[in-house]
Amino acid sequence: MIAGRGRPRIRPPRRGLHGDEVDFDKTWAIIEAAFREIHTQNASKLSYEELYRHAYRIVLKKKGEKLYNKVHEFERNWLSSEVRDTIQHLISPNLVANAQSVSATTPNERRVAGERFLKGLRKAWGDHQVCTSMLADVLMYMDRVYCADHRRPSIFNAAMVLFRDQILNSTTSETDARTLLSLLNNIILDQIQMERDGDVIDKQLIKSCVWMLEALHEDEVESEEQRLYNTSFEKEYLHTSRAFYRGESELLLRDSHAGAYCKHARQRIYEEDERCKQTLLESTGPKIQKVVEDELIKNRIHELVEMESGVRFMIDNHRLEELHLVYDLNRRVDDRKTETTRAIQLRVVDMGSDINKDAIAASQAPAVAPAADPADKGKGVAQDKNLNQQTLAAIKWVEDVLALKDRFDKIWRESFESDPLLQQAQTRSFTEFINSPSFPRSSEYISLFIDENMKKGIKGKTESEIDAVLEKAIILLRYVQDKDLFERYYKKHLCRRLLMNKSISNEVEKQMISKMKIELGNNFTLKLEAMFKDMTISEELTAGFKRHVEGLGERDPKRIDLSINVLTSMTWPLETMGGAAADEEDQRPRCNYPPVVDKLKRGFEKFYSEKHSGRQLTWLANMGSADIKAVFPKVVQKDGSFKERRHDLNVSTYGMVILLLFNELGADQHMTFEEIQAQTNIPSIDLIRNLQSLAVAPKTRILIKEPMSKDVKPTDRFSFNEGFNGKFVKIKVGVVSGGNKVESDRERRETEKKNDDSRQFCIEAAVVRIMKQRKELSHQQLMSETLSQLVGQFKPEVNMVKKRIESLIEREYLERIDNATTDMYRYLA
Amino acid sequence: MDVKKKYEIEAALATEAQAISAGQLKEENPLDTSEDFRVFCEACRRGDLKVCQEMISAGVNLNARDQFDYTPLILASLCGHYEVIRLLLENGALCERDTFQGERCLYNALNDRIRNLLLSYDYAKASNPLQPLAAHLTALLARPTPKTTDITITAYGQEFHLHKFILAARSPYFAEKLATAPSTTSWKLPNSIPAESLGVALQYLYFQEVSIRRALFGLSDEQELAVLKGIDKIGKQLEIERLFEDITEVSDRRLLRQRRAEELERGRDQLESWYKDNVLRHKRVVDTAKVDTIQWDRENSIFADILLRADDDEEDDKESDDTDRSPGPSESSTPPVRNTPGPLSGIPVGPGREQSGSPLRQRASRKSTIFPAHRAMLLRSEYFLTMFSSQFKEAQDTPHLQIITIDCSPAVLETILTFMYTERADFGLEIAIDVLFAADQLFIEKLKQRAAIIISALGNGATSAVESDNPRGATDADEPVDIYEVIRAGWDTRVQRLEEFAARYIAYRLEHYIDQPEFAELVQESANRVKARQETDTVELVDDIRYYLSERFRLRFEDSGLDEMMDENAAVQATTEGDLVDAMGEFALDDGIPEHLQQEENFVSVEQQIAAGVIRNLDGEIVGDEFAQDAMNYQILLGKIDTLLEKLNLDA
Repeated sequence: MIAGRGRPRIRPPRRGLHGDEVDFDKTWAIIEAAFREIHTQNASKLSYEELYRHAYRIVLKKKGEKLYNKVHEFERNWLSSEVRDTIQHLISPNLVANAQSVSATTPNERRVAGERFLKGLRKAWGDHQVCTSMLADVLMYMDRVYCADHRRPSIFNAAMVLFRDQILNSTTSETDARTLLSLLNNIILDQIQMERDGDVIDKQLIKSCVWMLEALHEDEVESEEQRLYNTSFEKEYLHTSRAFYRGESELLLRDSHAGAYCKHARQRIYEEDERCKQTLLESTGPKIQKVVEDELIKNRIHELVEMESGVRFMIDNHRLEELHLVYDLNRRVDDRKTETTRAIQLRVVDMGSDINKDAIAASQAPAVAPAADPADKGKGVAQDKNLNQQTLAAIKWVEDVLALKDRFDKIWRESFESDPLLQQAQTRSFTEFINSPSFPRSSEYISLFIDENMKKGIKGKTESEIDAVLEKAIILLRYVQDKDLFERYYKKHLCRRLLMNKSISNEVEKQMISKMKIELGNNFTLKLEAMFKDMTISEELTAGFKRHVEGLGERDPKRIDLSINVLTSMTWPLETMGGAAADEEDQRPRCNYPPVVDKLKRGFEKFYSEKHSGRQLTWLANMGSADIKAVFPKVVQKDGSFKERRHDLNVSTYGMVILLLFNELGADQHMTFEEIQAQTNIPSIDLIRNLQSLAVAPKTRILIKEPMSKDVKPTDRFSFNEGFNGKFVKIKVGVVSGGNKVESDRERRETEKKNDDSRQFCIEAAVVRIMKQRKELSHQQLMSETLSQLVGQFKPEVNMVKKRIESLIEREYLERIDNATTDMYRYLA
Repeated sequence: MDVKKKYEIEAALATEAQAISAGQLKEENPLDTSEDFRVFCEACRRGDLKVCQEMISAGVNLNARDQFDYTPLILASLCGHYEVIRLLLENGALCERDTFQGERCLYNALNDRIRNLLLSYDYAKASNPLQPLAAHLTALLARPTPKTTDITITAYGQEFHLHKFILAARSPYFAEKLATAPSTTSWKLPNSIPAESLGVALQYLYFQEVSIRRALFGLSDEQELAVLKGIDKIGKQLEIERLFEDITEVSDRRLLRQRRAEELERGRDQLESWYKDNVLRHKRVVDTAKVDTIQWDRENSIFADILLRADDDEEDDKESDDTDRSPGPSESSTPPVRNTPGPLSGIPVGPGREQSGSPLRQRASRKSTIFPAHRAMLLRSEYFLTMFSSQFKEAQDTPHLQIITIDCSPAVLETILTFMYTERADFGLEIAIDVLFAADQLFIEKLKQRAAIIISALGNGATSAVESDNPRGATDADEPVDIYEVIRAGWDTRVQRLEEFAARYIAYRLEHYIDQPEFAELVQESANRVKARQETDTVELVDDIRYYLSERFRLRFEDSGLDEMMDENAAVQATTEGDLVDAMGEFALDDGIPEHLQQEENFVSVEQQIAAGVIRNLDGEIVGDEFAQDAMNYQILLGKIDTLLEKLNLDA
């Protein structure tokens, strides 16, 4: 349709639309009649086109407001006259009554009446929605044009508001001022209560009523929080639920045991969750969860844990399932799981302390029966027996602690879902009882445990088993705070193992060291590794010396093979090896070696000084050993045989020196103790011990002592036992008081004193390191930094640190800064 | 913003030329030397909205170029005709960044306002004008309610619910099949064609942008081959030869767009010709009184499922108020097949017509026109959507087709139907306002905008075609529009564009309107509207008029482009603008006419007298005085508006 050049005139719009007024009243009458039809569900006869056209005209004629108000009024009348009556008829007396006193009616009656009411309301609401949306369809033009321009709510929304005002906010009856809404709330709550009590209710019915409440708003703003559901029902619901669960939890705590309580609580939480999904709105979920959790868990968890059948009972009886329930409940209300943690910690410390007590008791108990340890050589010596018992106690302690740890690990894994927080808590508790001041022996016990295993325990075990044992030791080590003390013990034990060749496998030793290295750092194992290094170097030295001697000339049949260990004096805990005599060691005159040995000794010294100039060798005769081939003359034996016997004797160096003395004596000659001492210059304690083992121990009685007694007195005389007869060719002559033993109290004090001394150095070093770097520092900061630096090694006492600082000030490493508000120190270069 | 370098554009141009000569690309701006196009270009040059609209309606190619390589859009933007540019863009003229012609357009834009307008229509944002139609049809394929489908095609157990009229329009095969058996309600596919192939073909028929890659996604090679074969086969069977070619993927964005545009165009043309051949051909004019007796069977040859009725205009108010139209169930015994009006009766049954009409009309009985239609297409209007989704009578299933009265003239109804079926909206000024109201009533927003465009483009009339030709606001005796009606229609239907248009229209002819009592009435009405909306003190209409008034006169000054002249007049302007009375006094010294003015406020066409006087007095003198005269006129008109407002007791 092309508009040509012929200048088309625009036509005025059709008369039907413009100019003349529409007869509002007449048109409205038609519309109203149609609306009535709609409300009585007779819409299918109505023509949408016609109704729309009427409404459209009215709005176009600027009578939108009038129409809007009329429609509004129509809806109001309809709701208040028709619908409200229907609803009110549904209210049966027992419904009204139940709001005041529940006792009057049976639940079944109430349920039926309630459902009838809810159904009626649901129908009214559904009808209202359908009808209103049809109305809104007809009035679409008004909604779009009039309502948008004049900022009025769309007719649909307005009708919804009317439903709220006319139905829900109306009173239940003339005499009763309560609103239908509150009645509705009560009925729904009542139904929910029935469900909690185990009845089956019509969830779908309630849900649709809940949807109605969701769709309506408290005020005109229509914000999310203002939904009737939130402002009216939900509040009530949470309130009654709280009361209900408070009562229930009290009842349960009184009547059932902890496990059942947990199960029940879990069930309730699940039920409420389901209820929110099926009956109410999901948005209520978190809120009701909180109520349930508050009432069933948060306010009760303490009592629950403390119950007779609480956590302690569960741990003792291995109720892992129930522990998990407790944990699960606790977790819901408390991220830190305080109550569970507390109970677990308490239990760990309790059980740990029991183990400690057992260990102390075992170590102090009088020897009940001779220990059945075949390796024990301290036969007949009461003190030895005691010591041995202590060793057993130590091992038992370690194993008990490990068992405890295993047990709680299992609980942790299976009941606590490997929660890191709880692991920390357990670790803290273990640390607490292992380091408890009433039980100072943990470091020593652990070291002893390792020692025992290195010497015997790991014999015949597979690699992975060994690894597990080592791992256990490391785990315990982790709990120990005074790592330096442990180091000291470990060094001592290791030293003994290395020098006396007691260790079963060097590999395992090194493995242990590397594990410690990973766990405790490089510093810790530095000296231990150095010990191993010394051992290797010594082997090379021995071999080198052997070659050197061979290279000297023709083979001397009488030559003595020398195997030597050169030990760095700082690395090795030599003083502990020297035993009680360590103090006097320096003043002690050197032992006189027999000439053959002396020659060899000098030869090695020469060889060594050629290799390393400026090093001094000190010979520790008390630590060596010697193999001697001894020939016993033909003497009639007890069994009547008569022949020469040859034995390879393995004796200590002192023993060798003593025995060689008798080489020069005649068969029936003897020497007194004093004579021996004068000739050999062996410290009397060592001499006594060696003579004891050579003359007293029945299997190695190479010398004959007169008079025959256990003790060795200076006046005793010794002679060669020509009639000695051993069962084996090789005989090892042990020295009394060897082996690993728990320290006596005196020894312990010594160890601790030494330990304290070395700690002092560590502290001073740390302080100086810090101050050198920081130049000036307040006392508080210095303390905290020092403590944190040292925590890997031990837990220093504050007093000791203070004393060290004082001492450093005295020695002018530090000075106090005058005029400082707090204590400040300055580093003096 | 980033602008491409010259060499980059030249390179792009070269590759484009190559692609075009190789036949890969279609030329976007083909050379057009026809007379129509020349006229069109001339109109764009001069800013003649009316001619532009007429030529667009006549179907010239908006994106062609003339012998100097100018496109209409370049011309209009070069010459600075904002309204024309807007019209061109709205009708699909392309201005795309990073193309040669597009950048040319932007570079040539006279001012920033035009440049911004051009940028806002960049292709990246604008979409194909046929897209809404296509989207609607595509949506029909999956729309569950209200039910509009009337045939079910089954393939391998998968059912497709479809519309016969779309199938018939799009596929010759279906057209033939359905013509022989229009009542078919189901159709089975030969087993050799997989359901996926059918799906693709149907998507294509329903205007969906088919991606073969998406259709084949996740299929094994074997299945893929089967589907492709199936597509080929079904394409042949349904006689949609282009199917395979059109769904093959291409990567080039521009090529893709061109092909999509072509595809839509072709689809629309098919739909349109089907619509013309079937829907329009079957419209019937019957006596209004007999309308109710019409019975169309559900099974009819054009698959219509609803009848729309529009009554002829009559100068009869009561008729339109007649509420008794809803036809009850007809008892007529007409045969169930398609039925032309019942027995003709010479007796007019319409209600009384006391109004004076032509004697001829009085004798003739009132006629109604019945259009068969398809609900599926009517759903494009929210009004029909609501109607057919509701539970009212119209949504019920009846044995015979329901007749729905549409409150407009047959011509308007036809326009609306044409728009809904084909997206075409070319109609004349004479029914524009009716279309506007009808579209408003039926919630067809796009048609409303089209009507507004047509009114504002054609409504200017011949005289104002080029504003600069009519500096003195001379008015045509024969106005094409009743501007009061236009502005009221604009208000009633909330079309901002019409309000602007009317304000502008009035501003350019203010001399003519300022003294009419109707104008005062209109101002009063506008003021009331404002108050009803929000509590502000401005009168929208007056503000708009003032704005366009200033534009009108400023245009004159700017057009001269001679700064020295402005300077020369600076003094005069300063005083006139500063104080009206002073200026008048000054002029009073010259010729005494302002005195005359001051005395007679209500003088009819005062300004013409001034103009006449000035011309008479200053004829042959320097041009500068003409500017002075314009300034005078401007001030006088402003003064008049103030007086008017005062009289109406309005604060502005």
